[in-house]
Parts: sequence; structure tokens; C-alpha cells
Amino acid sequence: MNLGLFNNFCSQAAQSGILFYYTGEFSQNVIKVMGETVQQRMDAIGANGPARRKVFSAFVEMAQNILHYADTTPGDGATIGALAVGRTDDKYFVVCGNPVRLEHVARIREKLDPLRSMTLEEIKAAYRQQLRNDEHDQDVVSKGAGLGFLTLARESSEPIEYQIVHRSGDDTYAEFYLRAAI
Amino acid sequence: MENLRIAPTNESPEIFFDYATHRLAIRGESYPENAMSFYAPVRASLADYLAVPAPGKAVEVTCSLRYFNSSSTKLLRALVSMLNAVTATRPVILRWFHDAEDDMMMEFGMDLRDEFRSMDVQVLAIG
Repeated sequence: MNLGLFNNFCSQAAQSGILFYYTGEFSQNVIKVMGETVQQRMDAIGANGPARRKVFSAFVEMAQNILHYADTTPGDGATIGALAVGRTDDKYFVVCGNPVRLEHVARIREKLDPLRSMTLEEIKAAYRQQLRNDEHDQDVVSKGAGLGFLTLARESSEPIEYQIVHRSGDDTYAEFYLRAAI
Repeated sequence: MENLRIAPTNESPEIFFDYATHRLAIRGESYPENAMSFYAPVRASLADYLAVPAPGKAVEVTCSLRYFNSSSTKLLRALVSMLNAVTATRPVILRWFHDAEDDMMMEFGMDLRDEFRSMDVQVLAIG
């Protein structure tokens, strides 16, 4: 990448309201340092207490989701993903992306589609029900107690958005993108 | 029995379980990489403690968390559920502190109060 292209990249990020952007390997250590940075950025721009807390919560859920579920790259086995925090007009947003195996796509859709049409009260009710649901202990795939997406939906002021982007010629992985607005 | 003491980190809370005074305190942040393994010793020591009958002796639990993630949620509720199971023989007091501006933390405390009615759950705002 030459400096002209890098300048374009930086300008586009600034125009999109990006406050923080990371792409690369996710580990608990990276999440810890990113978490501190996100909090400092939110302080620096004078975000109020509730916005700061909600953005941090959405950040942790997405970052740990990548850490726990993103499929490792075939080459070096690293958990690779991307995450950004930003601001547009009066809202904050947290977005992330990571590769997922095609066989997991249906499961992701099943979890996210119903959340998108629920009211906040319905999301809270589903959250309570999932919290009291002991069946989940048998779910070997999920590590977030099945509450990760519900927590994100609770923090968001709009329905959470997602996209599955298929890559041409790749019959193993797709890119999974997720967005929460706060 | 040895008291249980776990020092806080940026991502995990301080735990202090004082058997002699029947007090358990959980304070700080809770988003460890593996919440299940972080809370395993807390669950084990609470189970050991509750297995020794102490009719009439009140158990006091203080929970003062600034933030917890989704995978800590169910484990925190499981601790409260274990405490609820002994309320037939001894009183259990849970003081659930939350930041005055933190609705989600407040609602979580109120949900615990609604669900575990034989415990004395106090939802208390700070700041």
C-alpha cells in the first residue's frame, strides 16, 4: 500500500466516524488492551456513562464472540477478525467481522433472525428465559451461555444487523459481519 | 475451612468468602476469557460451605459489579440459586449494588429479587 492509498483509507475511516479499528489476531490479551483503548476514546470524546457502558458491553460481546467462535485460519491456526467502534450523528456503533465455516451459517441465522423483529420487552423476556434455561449446559458449541446475542440486542437501540458474505470459489468459509447501534 | 480469596484483575472480580462471619463479597469487573473456570472454585467453596448445616445463621452476600459479560451472567445466577436452596433453614441476604445510571445491572438485581423470593434481595444504587 502506498501512502496515497493509506491516506484514502484513513480519510474513509474518519468520514465513517471510526473512533477505533482493529484487525488481526484476537486473544484475551488483545481484548484487554483494546478494551482499555475503547474506554479511553469514549472518555476523550465526552461520552456519557450509559453510552460508555453499552459500547463497552457490545465491544466485549463481539470481541469474545470472535475469540470463541471465529474459525481459525487454515494456515497458522490464528483467530482472525476485525472490529470497529465509531460514532455517527447521535449514535455509537460497534461492528465486527470474522470468517465462519459454512456449516455454522444456518445456526447463526436461526439465532439472529428472531432477535431482529423483537421489541425491547420481548428481548428482555427472551433474555430472562434463556438465563433460567438449564438445558443450555448441554450445548457444546456455545460458550456464552446463549446470552451473547441477546445481550447485544438489549444494548442496541436498533435491531442488530448482520451479513453473511460468501467468497467466490470458497466452499469452506464465509465472512460474518455484525453491527450494533447504541 | 480456609477462607476463599481471589485477587481482582482488570477482567475478573475480587472474591472474598469469609466462612467465620458468613459473608461472601464479589466486587469489580467480570469478563474473564473463561467464566466457567473462573467461577468454578467459587461454586465449589460455596457448595462446601452450604453443605455444613448452620440453622438460623444468616448468610450475607454483597455483589458490587461494575460490569459483567454474558458468559458470567449465568454463573452469577447459579451462585444465587445455590444460596436460595438453603433459605428453608437460614436467612440469606443479597445486597446487589449497581451504578445509578446502569439500568441493565439494576434490572438484573430486580430479576433476582423477583425470582428468588425467599431471599432478602436488596437492589441498591450507588453514585
